[in-house]
Parts: sequence; structure tokens; C-alpha cells
Amino acid sequence: MQYDPISVALKFGFLAVLFLFVLVIARSALKDLRRTAAPAPDATGFHAVPAHPEIPYAVDAWLVAERGGGLEPGARFDLIGGLSIGRSGEVDVQIEDRYASGLHARVFPRGDRFLVEDMRSTNGTLLNGASLNGEAELIDGDTIQIGDTVFRFEQ
Amino acid sequence: MKSGARNRELLALIPVAALLTAGFAGVFAQDHAKLGNASLVYGAYFFAICLATHIYLRIRLPNADPYLFPLAALLTAIGLVMVYRIDQHLARDQANWFVIGLILFALTIQFLRDYEVLERYRYLIAVGGLLLLLAPRLPGIGQQVNEAYLGVKIGPIAFQPAEFSKLAIIIFLASYLRENREVLVVGARRVLGVTLPPLKHFGPILVVWGASMFMLVFIRDLGSSLMFFAAFLALLYVATGRFSFVVIGMVMFVLGAWFFATTVPHVHERIEIWLHPFNDPLESGYQILGSIFSQADGGLFGKGFGHALITVPGSPSQTLLPAAQTDMIYALIVNELGLFGGTGLVLVYLLVTARGFKIALLASDGFSKLLATGLTAVFAIQAFVIIGGVTRVIPLTGVTLPFVSYGGSSIVANFVLIALLLLVSDRARREAVEPGGREALALGAS
Repeated sequence: MQYDPISVALKFGFLAVLFLFVLVIARSALKDLRRTAAPAPDATGFHAVPAHPEIPYAVDAWLVAERGGGLEPGARFDLIGGLSIGRSGEVDVQIEDRYASGLHARVFPRGDRFLVEDMRSTNGTLLNGASLNGEAELIDGDTIQIGDTVFRFEQ
Repeated sequence: MKSGARNRELLALIPVAALLTAGFAGVFAQDHAKLGNASLVYGAYFFAICLATHIYLRIRLPNADPYLFPLAALLTAIGLVMVYRIDQHLARDQANWFVIGLILFALTIQFLRDYEVLERYRYLIAVGGLLLLLAPRLPGIGQQVNEAYLGVKIGPIAFQPAEFSKLAIIIFLASYLRENREVLVVGARRVLGVTLPPLKHFGPILVVWGASMFMLVFIRDLGSSLMFFAAFLALLYVATGRFSFVVIGMVMFVLGAWFFATTVPHVHERIEIWLHPFNDPLESGYQILGSIFSQADGGLFGKGFGHALITVPGSPSQTLLPAAQTDMIYALIVNELGLFGGTGLVLVYLLVTARGFKIALLASDGFSKLLATGLTAVFAIQAFVIIGGVTRVIPLTGVTLPFVSYGGSSIVANFVLIALLLLVSDRARREAVEPGGREALALGAS
């Protein structure tokens, strides 16, 4: 009964198939890694920048996430056509912030200027640290704070 | 892409079925000294069941991760072969549990397609999870196994609630941390060069720590205690990105465990057996020594299916490897398939973990990310706790080897876990390939 050839063959066959199987899946995992490693870091962040493929990249103003909101610091949102910011799923820039309202604020163009408007949020919006009433014009470097989330306006 | 993922899944199921067939053939070759076609029949049954599940996935979750289900099926196949090799009747139970597990797997996918509803009921889920943990201690339905309170028996149904409560607690933690991670990070302050979370948000961390210490002492379930707390720390780290929180948690756990190891006899005894198994080789140290000898006996390539000695030859009542079908199944696998077989098994767990974290990376919202991370972490840590215990890396504790060990609760709960991961994966990958979906992930389409 000791080590009959069929038993030995089956054992080695089992091990061979097991390792081949592991190898194939590991190889595919490695390919995945190479693919995911290359592109934008926001692929791994908690929230990705919403892409607007239909709009050309001739944009001259952005909101840049500074901290908080579950956004990758440095994430840029182009402002062509304006952006709504809030906690709900319907807004353009969704932030995870306890103090944010569903639709909290919006940033929109008027002529060649950009304006920020508080959408009657519960906890208010701070523009450069001061409470924002209604709408206000933005200049390069302004900070917009919603709860613990801070954006910088860049032009 | 759509059919691509599922085609790869189908392709991967073929070697799994082949492995099951080869395994059964190996056991038969030893047991009956002749090869019937029974192993082929079992292989065909197994493949048919997997195929049915695969077709279901093709319809319901066409974009889900292609390798997760085949990997789970592979672990189940190895488990079935090994349990059959120990006891045919147990293997029949195990096969039934496999089918029941797959039915629950399908039901989870059917009814939890919008798994966000879990967030709405998170406190209910958390309370349910804690009650499940406590249940074995309740008079009337609780059961004590090896001095640990692990099982619950209600009428004819006996199960291990810890297996299910791990799902509940991970769902709760993922939801809770999704909402509070910002506060934990922003409110943090530095004290003596250590970043501490804000005091009022320290509460939940203390609660989880308290729960795991409670399990250590009153449920006497060292394995689950370690498993829950480590998974919690993994989630906390992913949610906040603060390594200091993890260090604080580890220090708290080690201090607590050390305190109880010196004061509670049951815990102390476990540590003593781990460090000095030869102090009492025929009583308390018997199981772990049996495990070590059994693994050493396997050598590089193992003794072959059915060749390991579980009982003393000639006297079946004298076991050499106690609890071979549950706690010690890894030792048995190493004995029969050698270091290579054991390594292969560990690699399979590693691949499941890699797929799980990949799903978390692809997921687009906070809850999905944390849920996938937590489920993967708890699965991986469970495998580590029992394999580590059997190989004497950490004290031996009674948790099951996911999908491999004999036990209905374990198989069913882990298939639900895999179903949740697939649900997260399907949504993440669908968003990645749909036109107008997130640009950065369009690369998944290749």
C-alpha cells in the first residue's frame, strides 16, 4: 500500500494544478496592479474627480480641494458651467462632511467672473473665513469653507 | 468586458473542478485501493453546482470580480476532499452546507443589490451582531466547547454565532467610520508627539476594544476577539489614514490581553500551552504537538491523499490529531500535501485578499470602500489566526479556516461575505466601464 504510483501521480498532479491556478490568478492581479498604478491618483482616493468628457479642457478657473470632505487634497474641479457642492448624490461635487447640507453652495460664472453662492445651507459657508451672505465674487486664491471641507479658487 | 470577466470566471472554475476530482481520486486510491468513477461523479456534481452559480452571477452581476468565486470554490473543494478523507458522513453534511451556502449567496445578491440599505439599519445590525456574540453565554441555548462558549443550539439547529456576527460588526463599523472619519481626523490633536483622536469620538474605539476584551474573558473566544479587533484597526486605518490610531489600538489590545493573560486562568493556560507545549505533552499540549508533528511528517510534498495518520493505527479511538476536521485541518493538509500544499493554500487566501482590496480600491463611495476593506480584512485575519495557531506562531484558538474547515456556519457566513464583496465589485466595475463613468477607471475596460 505504501506509495502506489497512482496515488503519487495524483498528489503531484493536484499540487501542479493548484500552483498553476494560483499563478494564473496572480499574473492577472499583477496586470491589474500595473494598470491601476499608472493613472491619476484619484482612482484610489475616496472620491474621484467627476469627468466631463463633453467639455473641452479650455478651462481657466478651478476649485481645488484643500482638505476634508473625503476629497483627495489637490483634486481639481473645473468651473465651466458652474458646480454645485453638497452632501447629496445629485450635486456635482459630493463631499462627505457632517456639517454640509444636501445642496450647500454653488460656484458659477457670470460674464468672465465667477461667483460663489450659499444655497441657504444649515451651517453656512465661509469665504476667506468670513460668513457668506447670498453671493459673492471670487478672486484667485479665495478659500471657500463648508463645514470642515476647504476649497481654494484658482483662476 | 462584460462577458470577459464572466468568461474568465468560467474558465477558472474548470481547474477547480479538476482539483476536486483529483483529490477525491487520490482519497479513493488509498481507501479502496481501486479507482472507480465515483470521483468523476463527485467532480461533475461539484462542477454543475458551480456552473449554476456562475450562470446566476452572469445574469445578476455581469461586471463583478471574475476570480473571487472560483477562489472560494477552490477552498471549498480542498475542504470537501479533506473532510471526506476524515469521515464520509461529515463530508456529506459539508456538501449540503456548501449548497445551502450558495443559496444564501444567491439570496444575498438578489435582495441586497442596493447594499446601502445596510447603512440605514446599522445600529440594528450592530445590536444584532453583539447579541449573536453574547448568545453562547445565555443559559438554555448556549453551548460550551473546549471551555470556550462558541456554539448556540436552538432546537435541532446548532450554529456558531461569531461567524455571522463578524459580518454584522463589519457592516456597522464601515458605516459608522464612513460618517465619522472626517471628525476623527480633523479633531485629532497631538499630545507628546502622538496624534490622538478627539476625546468625544474616542468612545466607539473604546466600545470595540471593550467588546473584544469582553469576548476574551467571558466568551473565552480568543480567536474571534483578535479577529474583530484587528479588522477594526484595519478599517480605522483605511478610514482615517492615521497610523498612530492603529498603534494606539494595538497597545490597548496588547495591554488588555497581557492583563487578562496574567489574571484569568483560561487565557493564561492558552498562553502557557503555546509557549511550553512540552510541559504537559499528553494532556494540554497534545493537540498543538500533534499538529506540529503532523506537519513535519508531511515534508516538502506530503504523504499523499489518505496517507496521514489521524488516529493510532489499530485503535481508532486514540487520536493523534484531535479536531482534525475543524481546527487542525490545515495541519492535515500539510501532512498530506506537504509544505507545497500548505503554501498553495496560503497563496489562495492571499489572492482572495488581494482581490478584496482591489475591489475596495475600485469602489467609488466611502461605504463601499470601507465595507470591502473590512470584509476582506476579517476574512484574511481569520485565516491568519487559525493557520498561525496551528503552526504555533500565535496561541491556538478555535476559529475555522474559512471554506475549508468542517462547519456549516462558517461556510454559509463566508459565502455571504463573498456575495457582499461581489456586489460592491459589480457596482464599482460597472461605473468604471459605462460611458460617462469615472474617467480614471475606464482603464478597467481593456
